[in-house]
Amino acid sequence: MPEQPPPEMVTISLDGQEIEVPQGEYIIKAAEDQGTYIPRFCYHSRMKPVGLCRMCLVEVETPRGRILTTACNTPVAPEMIVDTESAVVQKAQEGILEFLLINHPLDCPVCDKGGECPLQDQTVAYGPGESRFVEEKRHFEKPIPLSDIVLMDRERCILCARCTRFSEEVSGDPLIEFVGRGNQTHVITFPDEPFASYFSGNTVQICPVGALTAKPYRFKARPWDLEAIESVSMVDASGASISIETSQNEVVRINGVDNDATNHGWLSDKDRFVFQAIHSENRLATPLIRDDAGDLQPASWGDALDRVADALGSVRGDEVASIGGANNTNEEAFALGKFLRTVVVTPHIDAQVGDALNPEFLAGVTPRAEIGDLDGAATILVWAGDLKEEFPTLFLRVRHAVTQMGAKLIVVHPRRTGLDNIAAEKITYRPGEGPEVVRKLTAQGDQDYGAVRDLLTAGPVIALVGLTGRAEDPRLAEAVAAYALGLPGSKVLPLARRANVFGALDMGLAPTLLPGRVPVKSESGRAELESHWGPLPGEAGLDTAGIIAGLAAGDLKALLLVGADPVRDGRNPDAVRAALDAAEFVVSLDMFLNDSNQQASVILPVDGFAETEGTVTNIEGRVQKVNRILPGPGQSRALWSILDELSSRMGGQLGAGDGPAIAKEIALVAPAYRSMTWDRLEWGPERDGVVMPDRDGVQELRFVPDDSGLRPTAGRLALHSGRVLYDGGTRNTQSPALAGLTPDPAVYLHPRDASALALADGQEVDVAGEFGTVRLRLELDPSLAEGSAYVPANLDSTWVLGVPDVVTVEAQSSKGKKNEKKKGKKKGAGE
Amino acid sequence: MAGFIGELLGPFKGFATVMRQAFKPRLTRSYPHEMRVKPQRFHGRHVLNRYPDGMEKCIGCELCAGVCPASCIYVRGQDNPVDAPVSPGERFGFVYEINLLRCIFCGLCVEACPTEAITMTQLFEFSVTDRADAIYTKDELLVQADGTPNHGQPDGPLIDLAELKLADGWMRATSPAGRADFEGVPAWTPSAGVGLRPAERGQSDVTESEEEEA
Ligand code: SF4
Ligand code: SF4
Ligand code: SF4
Ligand code: FES
Repeated sequence: MPEQPPPEMVTISLDGQEIEVPQGEYIIKAAEDQGTYIPRFCYHSRMKPVGLCRMCLVEVETPRGRILTTACNTPVAPEMIVDTESAVVQKAQEGILEFLLINHPLDCPVCDKGGECPLQDQTVAYGPGESRFVEEKRHFEKPIPLSDIVLMDRERCILCARCTRFSEEVSGDPLIEFVGRGNQTHVITFPDEPFASYFSGNTVQICPVGALTAKPYRFKARPWDLEAIESVSMVDASGASISIETSQNEVVRINGVDNDATNHGWLSDKDRFVFQAIHSENRLATPLIRDDAGDLQPASWGDALDRVADALGSVRGDEVASIGGANNTNEEAFALGKFLRTVVVTPHIDAQVGDALNPEFLAGVTPRAEIGDLDGAATILVWAGDLKEEFPTLFLRVRHAVTQMGAKLIVVHPRRTGLDNIAAEKITYRPGEGPEVVRKLTAQGDQDYGAVRDLLTAGPVIALVGLTGRAEDPRLAEAVAAYALGLPGSKVLPLARRANVFGALDMGLAPTLLPGRVPVKSESGRAELESHWGPLPGEAGLDTAGIIAGLAAGDLKALLLVGADPVRDGRNPDAVRAALDAAEFVVSLDMFLNDSNQQASVILPVDGFAETEGTVTNIEGRVQKVNRILPGPGQSRALWSILDELSSRMGGQLGAGDGPAIAKEIALVAPAYRSMTWDRLEWGPERDGVVMPDRDGVQELRFVPDDSGLRPTAGRLALHSGRVLYDGGTRNTQSPALAGLTPDPAVYLHPRDASALALADGQEVDVAGEFGTVRLRLELDPSLAEGSAYVPANLDSTWVLGVPDVVTVEAQSSKGKKNEKKKGKKKGAGE
Repeated sequence: MAGFIGELLGPFKGFATVMRQAFKPRLTRSYPHEMRVKPQRFHGRHVLNRYPDGMEKCIGCELCAGVCPASCIYVRGQDNPVDAPVSPGERFGFVYEINLLRCIFCGLCVEACPTEAITMTQLFEFSVTDRADAIYTKDELLVQADGTPNHGQPDGPLIDLAELKLADGWMRATSPAGRADFEGVPAWTPSAGVGLRPAERGQSDVTESEEEEA
């Protein structure tokens, strides 16, 4: 967190006790920090107060005498005298609750909130014993869908406006609003516009009653039979804290946990509902071996591991390569790296698949920003993918910094992004021309982008730097970082997408890195590791692209796929598939069958999210604890235990007996993680996570980005292959609540490009690139730079295109299918 | 002296007891040919009740499962099918199981139930030859349409059928999906005492679903 001047303190009297509180704090917060809970419904610490529900009434001494006032929106003042328990206050609280219950249905037994309901709890604690109201209650039709996920029971709503304020203030999609007057007031969407927000699940969590319910949890369990454990979301790498809640060994919901350092308690709907994939019936539950006829057959662990050990033992170590490991815990990644480096003895290790930024850049860029630095920034530069699609919780933090903390935002992206409407400046460029933009920003005396450059003179500047799309040259991010680091007071937050990619790199799952952010080429670093592990290969290995080429050429013979799908994620899907076919032996350690491991020789089922315990590292380098609450399905096993057994079959010694043992070894051999222990993360003030390396750790790697040698790519329609949140990835498609939200695939062109090509909106067109052709619907998108085409990456129908630099778009040759798919999947909104 | 005679008569004293008992009214019954009427509040096995119109009373709220000190009840709720609701309201109990080997017949579930869906009967004969059979599922627990329990020996003095049929929810747990055609239909909730209750004032005046159906 940035250093902030300590706030000025004032003294107030709270229930007769003198307390010191920061000037300007609201009474409700000041009292809570001091241990006095004032009941509330509408107040939420992460949103602006509105004073709607009147539950927080307290008595305050004023020159006009003692008055009742709302504690949630009255700031403290020096010498203020506040009474939270006087007879008048109690009478007021009883009155408010009696009023609230006048129209509140007696639904508690069937209400999802029953048992954890603030209205229930506060009625018991502060309410009148009885209601005097005998008249008929108001009636509304029971739950109506606000969206595909969220349902609304208007009878239960107490009109606190938490949901509407969240949508407007925090997520910036004001899609729900109050309508009606008097007792007919209710919350509803706009006609024909469903509450299609990426963050809609948060409203369900913060609704103080059971008015908003989420389909995946509806009637699944009652609060008292839930078992919960804190963990970290594994959807993206921003490290959102969550609690995983299960009933009868089934995960039934995930709630956000307020972590000051990362997510402020908010989650995206993908974070929240992706757990459904855990219980998908397509989960692999037993090892599979390909038989002589080429079919996958269930096998025992013994046979499967023997087969793998034989195959890996029959080739030279450096003929083996491994792709993946970025969705696993640090402990698993470390065990994998150690297995590959010491038992198999190969340097060809890459956790990033197809969308690789330089691992040394990601792990070693300095000074690296923390997410909390955003709140103290004067200017924020986002030159990365669309944060709303790729890092939804980070997107909310950037929104918070801009809308609440007054930072100025500059967005550079080839297309519109979710942040544009709050950006002070936006630069749209043709994919491939990024280097040109950097040059113009840097060049002295250049006239372009004057306003942007003016903004960037005000520090501190925080730059969020990542790939804007899959077709982009990865070195552009380094050039941007190099530029940004020259700005006043700047820090860089490097972005890469997979859940624990930063942890995987820190654990050495990169061709150029050893555990603990030590470059392979560092003699001293390697020597130190060798003192624990014995001799190691001194050369950097091949990255994913090199591995694919090596397999195709026959230089590499065997491949481990660890939760990776390089066919889908590859630049050239056909080439990757051919390389996998050419490999003599492919073993996949995964939770699902996917396009890459369909052809594998052996497939081993591994435990995944909520089934393994360990630590993960997010974009800032913050290490947090993930926890286990379930056993894996069927015979699936933890990755480290599979690797441990495999090593002993191959005559090696991995020493990965269990998670804690690996964690100890990490602290021993990985310099940047020297002071890391699970205990630190489980108890006490560091439960929010610790940014590594902290003062006891040492970081050998100090990467200085360099922008030389980067040239713009040319071509008519440069491809922008940006990611979308609800993609065609396994976890998304295996979660019923999310699968239906995947957008219809389409290709987007600037209207002028479309008319130059004589194409019309909605027409079916063929999009062709170097690696493949897909037929997509055309949509006009004036937010694109001219001369570019946007195709969402990794949808079920678009990944075949691969990631060429340029594409051609042509009218479809055979006529007749026009507009067929046009009827979108708009449903939801109201009746 | 008395001692001597007493000793002499000693063996016959026993006969006197026998004779006295022989003419007292007999308490032993030749069960199962002859049944005893059990006390009114006898805690026998549970049933799940229905409303007079046949709807299930259980709304799957899991309160009984939550309160059960032996943790022998397992309930799962589900959305009521809109066209053919199983119970009034939004939710119904679609899985309901009681492990009667664990049950201690305390009756707390009966007290917890907001709709009087679960009550205890005077049925006590449920010996089984297999442990799994001791887990009673909804099939066995739910009473038939006429209110008689689903049981091997439903007749006889074991249970007071008349009383069972009257056992009824005193409170409607939730309004029935806001559908006007269910509003104010008194048949399904005799409520607070026995007998029909008039429709609630104003319930079916204006509701959206009516407007919609119009
Ligand atoms: S919102 Fe709370 S008080 Fe209202 S019905 Fe639900 S559990 Fe009961
Ligand atoms: S739906 Fe819930 S959060 Fe929204 S206004 Fe009503 S009570 Fe408040
Ligand atoms: S029997 Fe009663 S308490 Fe148990 S789940 Fe059904 S309605 Fe709830
Ligand atoms: S909490 Fe203060 S008015 Fe609602």
